Formats: sequence, structure tokens, C-alpha cells
Amino acid sequence: MSLLPLFQWMTTTSLAQYFSATTWSMPIVQIIHLVAVALFSGAVIVVDLRLMGRGLTGTPIRQLAKATEPYLILAFVVLLITGTPQMLSLAMKQYYSPFFWWKAEAMLVALILTVTVRRKMCNMDDSQLGSFWPKVVGLTSLGLWSGVIIGARLIGLLS
Amino acid sequence: MPFTGLFEWMDALESSVALRQSINAYPFLLTLHLISMAAFAGLIGFWDMRLVGIALKTVPVSKITERIFPWMIAAFVVTLVSGFLLAYSKPLTYHENFYFWVKNALMILAGINAGVFHLTTEQTVTQWENDPVTPRGAKIAGIASLAMWAVIIMTGRMIAYSALVPEWWVALNAAE
Repeated sequence: MSLLPLFQWMTTTSLAQYFSATTWSMPIVQIIHLVAVALFSGAVIVVDLRLMGRGLTGTPIRQLAKATEPYLILAFVVLLITGTPQMLSLAMKQYYSPFFWWKAEAMLVALILTVTVRRKMCNMDDSQLGSFWPKVVGLTSLGLWSGVIIGARLIGLLS
Repeated sequence: MPFTGLFEWMDALESSVALRQSINAYPFLLTLHLISMAAFAGLIGFWDMRLVGIALKTVPVSKITERIFPWMIAAFVVTLVSGFLLAYSKPLTYHENFYFWVKNALMILAGINAGVFHLTTEQTVTQWENDPVTPRGAKIAGIASLAMWAVIIMTGRMIAYSALVPEWWVALNAAE
């Protein structure tokens, strides 16, 4: 099933039309999106480093994950809100960009990992964690979210 | 405009021309800059939020300095080097860019803020590092740092929108 009709429809929405027609709307959502990327990255990195046995190793993983979770969720919500107009107004460029699909796939896998395996690990006692699998999960999480950022940047540069 | 001669000299260098003409260099450097910026800004954001007393409140400040700083500094070095190379690939383009100058000025101010905090409030960190409520000096340094780095990120993105600048900046460049 082709998603082309969906992407074509996206460009016809009033939100897409508004963002395409106005000068400042796109820069404003992009700069907010980028600040949210930084906040999200910080929340991910602090916990992933801990999973890999680095960073704040003196703090229980459960405590660290709980402390950073509100910021992770807040940043993700802002990313969704600011990402939507960008997605809608640049839909056709993204449809034809291999980097968009790379980003989308990486994001889907990263989200699934974050809300399942990683979340479960972050709710465990440190004594139950072991040393191998947390490292795998932490490294995979960092790799996937890095892939999302890289893919997103390359859409605009190499499409 | 400051340093015009320096930027003109850089622009004419063989290595600058080579970077400018390379198809892959700019996308690679910009992507590297973005990902290292995200890491650095994210980590310094959490360190600043600890100073303000709104995140990681149960973690001693010195532990964050000891355990997170090395990663933060590593990311900063990559951001700085990639940023320099980006500017080096198109010196005259960046020289005329309003947001480039604002961004660099703010980075200098952010560095001064960090230096002042280190030489003053941080000297007594052992007295307050376990407190969820931090002293005024830490709060001020944290808030200032958060605000400056947020604007640095924003102005970095705005570099691409070189036409969306104040009228006086356009007039200044036209006069040169």
C-alpha cells in the first residue's frame, strides 16, 4: 500500500499551507524543536550512560530514570507538537527522502525500546540488573536516537 | 564589521576552498555539530537544572561535575571543532551573518558565567551540594546558563535564515 496519497494530502492541510505561506512560523517551530532535541537528548543520555555503567553510577538507576522522566516526556511532547507542522508542510520532500524513512524507522524502534525493555530495566533494583544487557540496551538506545537526529538533519541537507 | 581582514584571509586559504568545494564535508560537519550539540546542551542543561534545584535534586552537585562533566566536555570539544570547521568552510558567508555573531557573543558570555560560578559559589559546594535547595549564586548561574544555551541553540538554527535579520544589520553590511 502506497503512502503517497497520505503525504500528498498532508501538503493540502490548512496548517501546512499556513506554514508554507508565512515567513517566521517555520523558523520559530524549528528553533523550539531544536531546544527540545537538546532536552530530550540530555534525559536519554543521563540514563543510558548509567545503564552502560558510566556517568552517575552512584545513583540507583530507578531514581535516575524517575528524575529524568518528566523532562523526557515534556521534551517528546514538544518535539511532536513542533514536528507536526514541519512534517505537514514538507511532506513531499520527506516522502522522497531516504533519510526521512531512516529517521522514521529508527524513531519507531527507539520508542518501542524506550517504553518496553529500557523502561522495565529502569524500574529494577540495581542488584537485579546484571552488567551485560543494560549495556546493550543503553548503547542501542543511544545509537537509535542518534540515528533519528542524523536522519532528520540529512533530510534537509542531502535530499 | 570586526575581523573582516581575518575572514577574507581565511576564505582565500586552499584548505577553506577545498572544504567549500567538497560535496560531503558540509553535510558531515553539520550533522556532527548537531549531534554533539544535542549531547552537550542536554548534559549541561541537566547540570544547570541541578544548580537551579529543579532536576536531579538527590544527586550531589560534585558527583555531577565528576561523572558527567567529562562527557559534556568531550561533546563540547566536538561541537566546537565542527563549528569552527563549518565557519572555516565559508568564512565570508558567516562573517556577514547576524546570528553567527550573536551566537558567538553568547558563547563567550556563557563561558564567563561558568567561570564566575566556578570562582565563587562553587568554592563552597561541599557545604550545599546535598541540599535540594541550592544557594542563590548557584540558582543565578544555572538560570543564566540555561537561558544563554537555549538562545545559542536558537541562533545556531537561525544562521540558515540569513535574510531574517534586523534592518540595521542589512544597512551595516551594505555600507562595507
